[in-house]
Amino acid sequence: MKIPFSWLKEHVQLTKAPKDIADDLVRLGHEVESIALPQAGVLGVRIGQILDMKPHPDADKLKLLKLDLGEAEPLAIVCGASNMKQGDKVPVATVGTNLPNGLTIKQGKIRGEVSFGMCCSVAELGLAEDADGLLILPTDAPVGMEVGAYLELEEAVLDLDITPNRGDCMSARGLARDLAADGNLPLIAPDEEPADVSDSVAVPSVQVTASNDCPLYMARRIEGVAVSDAPDWIKARLLAAGQRSINGVVDIINYTMLDLGQPMHAFDADKLTGGLHVRATVEGESFLALDGREITLHAGNIVIADDKAVVALAGIMGSEHTGVTETTTNIVLESAAFRAALISTTRRTHGLVSESSMRFERGVDPEMIAVAMNQATLLILELFGGSASEVITIGDADTLVKHKVVNTSIARIESRLGLTIPESADDVLNRMGFVVTRKEGLLEVEVPSHRHDVSLAEDISEEYARVIGFDAIPEVLPSLATIKPHAVDTAMSSATAAGFVQVINYAFISPAEQRLFTAADDKDLVLQNPISDAMSVMRRSVWPGLLNTAKHNMNRQQAGVMLVEQGRVYEKFDTEKNKETNVIAWLMTGQIQADAWYAKANKADFFDLKGAVEAWLENRGLVARFMAEENKLGLQAGQCAKIFVGKAVVGFIGKVDTDIASNFDLASDVFVAEINLDVLNAGKKAKFQPIPEFPSVERDLVFLFDKKHSSEAILQEVRKAGGQTLVEAGIFDRYIGKGVPEGFVSLGIRFVLQDAKRTLTQDDSDAAMKSIIKAMADKFAAELRG
Amino acid sequence: MSEIDSLKSELRVLEEQALASFTQATDLLALQALRVQYLGKKGALTNVLKGVGRLSAEERPVIGQFVNQVKDALTAALDAAEATLSVAEKAKRIEAERLDITLAGRKANKGAIHPVQQGLNEMCAIFAQMGFEIAEGPEVEDEFHNFDALNIPQEHPARAMHDTFFFHADEAQQAKLLRTHTSPVQIRTMKGCVDSGGQPPLAVVAPGRVYRCDYDVTHSPMFHQVEVFKVDKDVSMAHLKGVLKHFLSTYFEKDLPIRLRPHYFPFTEPSAEVDVGCVFCAGKGCRICKGSGWLEVLGSGMIHPNVLKAVGIDSSVYSGFAFGLGVERLVMLKHGIPDLRLFFENDVRFLRRMGA
Ligand SMILES: [Zn+2]
Repeated sequence: MKIPFSWLKEHVQLTKAPKDIADDLVRLGHEVESIALPQAGVLGVRIGQILDMKPHPDADKLKLLKLDLGEAEPLAIVCGASNMKQGDKVPVATVGTNLPNGLTIKQGKIRGEVSFGMCCSVAELGLAEDADGLLILPTDAPVGMEVGAYLELEEAVLDLDITPNRGDCMSARGLARDLAADGNLPLIAPDEEPADVSDSVAVPSVQVTASNDCPLYMARRIEGVAVSDAPDWIKARLLAAGQRSINGVVDIINYTMLDLGQPMHAFDADKLTGGLHVRATVEGESFLALDGREITLHAGNIVIADDKAVVALAGIMGSEHTGVTETTTNIVLESAAFRAALISTTRRTHGLVSESSMRFERGVDPEMIAVAMNQATLLILELFGGSASEVITIGDADTLVKHKVVNTSIARIESRLGLTIPESADDVLNRMGFVVTRKEGLLEVEVPSHRHDVSLAEDISEEYARVIGFDAIPEVLPSLATIKPHAVDTAMSSATAAGFVQVINYAFISPAEQRLFTAADDKDLVLQNPISDAMSVMRRSVWPGLLNTAKHNMNRQQAGVMLVEQGRVYEKFDTEKNKETNVIAWLMTGQIQADAWYAKANKADFFDLKGAVEAWLENRGLVARFMAEENKLGLQAGQCAKIFVGKAVVGFIGKVDTDIASNFDLASDVFVAEINLDVLNAGKKAKFQPIPEFPSVERDLVFLFDKKHSSEAILQEVRKAGGQTLVEAGIFDRYIGKGVPEGFVSLGIRFVLQDAKRTLTQDDSDAAMKSIIKAMADKFAAELRG
Repeated sequence: MSEIDSLKSELRVLEEQALASFTQATDLLALQALRVQYLGKKGALTNVLKGVGRLSAEERPVIGQFVNQVKDALTAALDAAEATLSVAEKAKRIEAERLDITLAGRKANKGAIHPVQQGLNEMCAIFAQMGFEIAEGPEVEDEFHNFDALNIPQEHPARAMHDTFFFHADEAQQAKLLRTHTSPVQIRTMKGCVDSGGQPPLAVVAPGRVYRCDYDVTHSPMFHQVEVFKVDKDVSMAHLKGVLKHFLSTYFEKDLPIRLRPHYFPFTEPSAEVDVGCVFCAGKGCRICKGSGWLEVLGSGMIHPNVLKAVGIDSSVYSGFAFGLGVERLVMLKHGIPDLRLFFENDVRFLRRMGA
């Protein structure tokens, strides 16, 4: 919310500079995003009158203007706007001006026509976010004058971010109230002199049947107004506050809202059919909003309707056809209270937002309903003439403004804040409209009607904290109570120590990526409102993300990547629960060894990744078994395995299907693995084992095997046959080629024998060798070689 | 010439010959051969001694002594020559083994922990040392845990500010969403404690991923938060400030001032935005802190009584503080990383450089 400093000063005699007031506001809980000095940004922009306007000979959308800036010669400017006519007065940025949007005005040629400046919109002057067309200034604006001076922009404008609990501060008066209380300054009372009432003007007919949602509704009729532009001072304030000028009456309504915080509405009385009815909607009723949108309403919204149609969505927006225009002569003015929660849901359902709804859903000060009605009436009568009826009031104003009382104790507040509450703080609260009574440690606080956010002892503690200042609260470390020691998770550090780079990918992927490694079923978790299709499904595998990361890096001159990611995969479990599984996943592709003076370049293969996974598991005290897997979606049969720890399947490893890899622009073989951490974490911790005291014996045997036997199966039999003392068995050589018959493979098996209690003898190792040779012959018909 | 004199002169000749040959030896192997040649069991010296038999009993000890003198002289000369040669040989070997040590070392692939993970680890470790227990919760949440129980009812304006991702839901199903903050872990932990018959004290740190439907230069639809809360008897805002001060100074490895500003969050009362003295300019004001000398780092407050009520904790007996850290923001500030998007682009050059 933007508020000019001078506006605040109309409600409280501030003596500090804007910068210091901004600091006070921050301390009170109102975030100040910026303090803008608009004039600094528009110096050099002057008022010019359009003397002549011709179409550009070479461009349909451009116009050639001659402007009088009070100099001897008129200024030629090429302009792309279309909302001006000859005789209009507009802001002209002259050559050398630096506009707030960073543009510096230079003399230039546009399609062959020389231009000596630029005509500006409110947006270009930095007074609003956007604008359509030039700012057309009032006809009496003095030609040649600096626009900044004319619009009274010489003062600071505070841009505030009012928190949603402080609807009462979304006005000059609301902020002034906090500042006055804080600085112990008097708050200047609003104009209470009642507007003249004419008995000859009939009060409008109003019926309220939704009194729960509209506890108070006030309306009056004003006849015979001549609507023209609002005076410059109102326009300048609206402009500074970031609002566009519409017409005199609408501007007064908006001005009153920004001034007092009470949103109002004005109907063109002659466009209403019959009386007003504040009621709940029926399903399917339609409403033509001010912005021209046709909205289909749901049951239970609250509207103001006449005999024919819905004329306003209460507290949010008026209808297209019943608003006040330049030609309106008779007005019905509305000032009311609507239930905040209903305004909030209604406007959200229909995707609407307005200055009015923003205030109603945050809560407005009910005491201002009548005051605003009076102030707006006074302004309309004074500026545009006419005569006003009495105000019709439906609802119980007294109940609405009744003050809540909170009972608590000083001790409770002090223990919550960790601070002693001085009595002087009570005075500040009293000035804010609270009524604080202390008695023997007990605290009774009467809450003013505008503080919808205060109803509990804890809320009172916040008020005290605000007025005393958070800086006064000491920094105290609570006593340390270690509840459970925290186990350090080494899953990632052991993977990165092995040379893998940890990446973090988004947890949502595209539906197509989901199908690469997971077959279609009904377990996908699909977002209703994704950022894009590419980020619309919760991943069920980490691999698509890793493939994307590999692609990103390989496209950036990496010869190879070794990636690891730890995170969750997600799926629907049953109607109520979802399953989130912690996994760790690896990807390797391309060179893992570059050409170097000591080695030849080397690309990743299945066993590079398998070794890394085995080592990672070993670090956790686990031994994995790998079993060939023929049907894992997305992985190539024959280079794919299920990973077992004990009897549990803990993951998969394999080569990514080459079609998939090439879709990610990955030319080299890509290897991936994934391990379910939730299954693993249930495993055991490493237990101590003494380092063997007696030496081990190592023996090698070479056999010829039929190729169909897996090394895993062979080694399993070796372990069985080797007996109690066999501690290790592995393949140290593998050979296919000359001397080995077709369909056979020569495998060198190395095994290690060791006994914890004695040194093994030649006889021991001979016995083991004999037993292994026999087992290989019996189980695999394997022949001992050489 | 007497027998003994001729033996002596024979020994002298032998000694001279031997000593001369020792100086000729160019390597240890040759020297070893000379040792055998002169002093070995069948060596020259032994050979000469064969003539001792011809001597008288009186002469034998005389010649024995003489032989021992020659033997000692030769042994000493051999040892000396050996020492000289082995020093020379070692020097030669060292020269031969000389490397161009400026050649690159055999390169190990350099892994790295992601800077966000590193930040999470550091933050959790600091809180763990302060006695906070680590907890986790689901990322796919429901409205009760993400909003309602946190005092953000359906029609609350703050709810709209959360830019929530929702899931397609079946008719009968409760609406599911991606959690917008780690605060639901607060609810789950407290409720879990109460439901299983427990009561505070509770001191919990909950790290995790959170999601907001917002994607531009300064917003990522997925980011990380660390939720910290403590509930006990007599927990005050002073404790909140103490913990924040300790955490921020430890994390940034500097004694930094902190500043609390009143703010509004539905789940805390009072609520405060927390600023820390600018880590770049020591509070003097710079481009990064926009001249203020302060950096806004997190939101905090005293847990709202409605939140405690929602989980069945009596707010007249217990109170608590809570705050949520934006992990990416703190990591960016600590390491001077200029752009949030770098974290999720996963360029290995960035990760290797920043990662631990
Ligand atoms: Zn700074």
